[in-house]
Amino acid sequence: MIINATTLLRALGAGVLFSPWATWADMAPLDDEAMAGIAGQGGIYLTGDIAINEFGGPLQNAYFDDCTDASKRCGARLAFRVKEDGGWLVLDDLRGKFSFEGLTLRVREISDGFGGDGAEFSGDVLEIGLPNIVRYDDVRFKFAASSTARPTDVGFQQTDILSVQIQGDVVMEGNLLVFPTGNP
Amino acid sequence: MTSLHGLALRMPAFPFAALLLVANQSIAGMQQLTEAELAEVDGAGLGFMLEDFKFAHGTDVQNGQIFKITGLKSTDGRDVELVVNQLYISGPNSDYGTNLSSVNLGRLVNPYSIDVRDGNDIGIPNKAVFEFAAPTKVDASVGYDCLSTGAGAGSGTCSSRPAGGIYGQGERPDIGLQMNVAVGDDRSANINIHAQSAVIDGSYIRLWGDNDRRQLVGQVKLNFYTPELSINACSQDGLACGSRILMTNFELELALGNQLQPLFFDVDGSGNFIVEVAAIPKPAPGTIGADGRRSSSNAAVWDYYNDYYTNPEYRSNLRVGNLTVGDRDFGSARVEGMLIQHLKIETRDLSQ
Repeated sequence: MIINATTLLRALGAGVLFSPWATWADMAPLDDEAMAGIAGQGGIYLTGDIAINEFGGPLQNAYFDDCTDASKRCGARLAFRVKEDGGWLVLDDLRGKFSFEGLTLRVREISDGFGGDGAEFSGDVLEIGLPNIVRYDDVRFKFAASSTARPTDVGFQQTDILSVQIQGDVVMEGNLLVFPTGNP
Repeated sequence: MTSLHGLALRMPAFPFAALLLVANQSIAGMQQLTEAELAEVDGAGLGFMLEDFKFAHGTDVQNGQIFKITGLKSTDGRDVELVVNQLYISGPNSDYGTNLSSVNLGRLVNPYSIDVRDGNDIGIPNKAVFEFAAPTKVDASVGYDCLSTGAGAGSGTCSSRPAGGIYGQGERPDIGLQMNVAVGDDRSANINIHAQSAVIDGSYIRLWGDNDRRQLVGQVKLNFYTPELSINACSQDGLACGSRILMTNFELELALGNQLQPLFFDVDGSGNFIVEVAAIPKPAPGTIGADGRRSSSNAAVWDYYNDYYTNPEYRSNLRVGNLTVGDRDFGSARVEGMLIQHLKIETRDLSQ
């Protein structure tokens, strides 16, 4: 697996991560009391893209290659075995790019609204603000079942069950609210 | 067990580092939990809901929009291509997807949840069970009718509320799909499926491991209620449409697998996918009397079979309030109490 950290990021409000060098020398730990008085502001605002094997993966052999050879696959492959000594469920040829602008992340206190549920709930949630538009750039994957984990293993046989291709702007509006349930 | 390779991932520079700072001391002291200990685990779970949610995607080749599913083959070996022209999740009164608005999915007091359940509480003895669940059904004294778009509190067992009044946009989305299917060079008309004010309360997926068969097993419950489900076909330019098949007050309660007959997932040696609901296991030895009564039978065996044949949780139901095709009414239809005694689905590669 290769992760290249090379793309756009704007982290507005995440001042902690980008403090000027000059202030570092004067930094001192905060005691509990001082920490208790701090309230986070603004949260995080992310803009960027996630590309998976956009130009092929690192492996080049009889099965995988860069994306110039149509007879070979250039996407990533994830194989799951659900039975001891059984075959493998495979997400194969997974590739493409997702771009988004304005994914937000913050902690939000809810104590009203939601048709009366807010007051009853009365607590904090993690709010992930969806970016309104997610741009899919030739995102593809295949769902398959395979006799072996790797296509280079002996006795490899695979049935591609279906493949999916998504391109263009997907409207995805709203907020995803995440919170613990029950009473731990 | 998983296998992963050939993956190159390019991501925004995001401060993941903090997540990796695990204290070494705690790892040294960690021990495996036994199956019995793990079965006692009952995680508090993670709830989530979508606030003001709207989703739409479709195919518009001129504008670079593509959403298609390929790779399927017809029985005569021709390629099948399924082009999704429009897929939406919208607020109420979307007028078959032409007027999209936002909706809440799940409630703060009864959200969608991901949880690890104690199997002993849900009839799966001594197992830790992973569960992904929609909002649960609630008591009829506080719930809402699952179909009525004007339901008030105390009218039914669904938790999600219809739009209107103090509930605002409510928690029941309009969902729709327009697609066309091409088999070889034959491209069909567009098929439109729309569900209004849809509710899936009480649905869940449960997954756990089976010791004897040493494989992943599961249980799926899918509830789907809508006051109006419509299906019609239009020409590809969308101008000429055939008769609309309209199902009002549509209720589907599908139970795939149960505690006695879980759903097995597998892949065989030649790479074919298998889904199986096995027959129920035999109970401990004991006989059923000739008259079939409990008094003349082994009580434990009689109870075992009686529970299997009478438990409504094991059964699937389909009810349609009224079926209309064009201007013809066909009245209501009910298929209730379907019990899957054995099911095995196996994919075949037609190209071989």
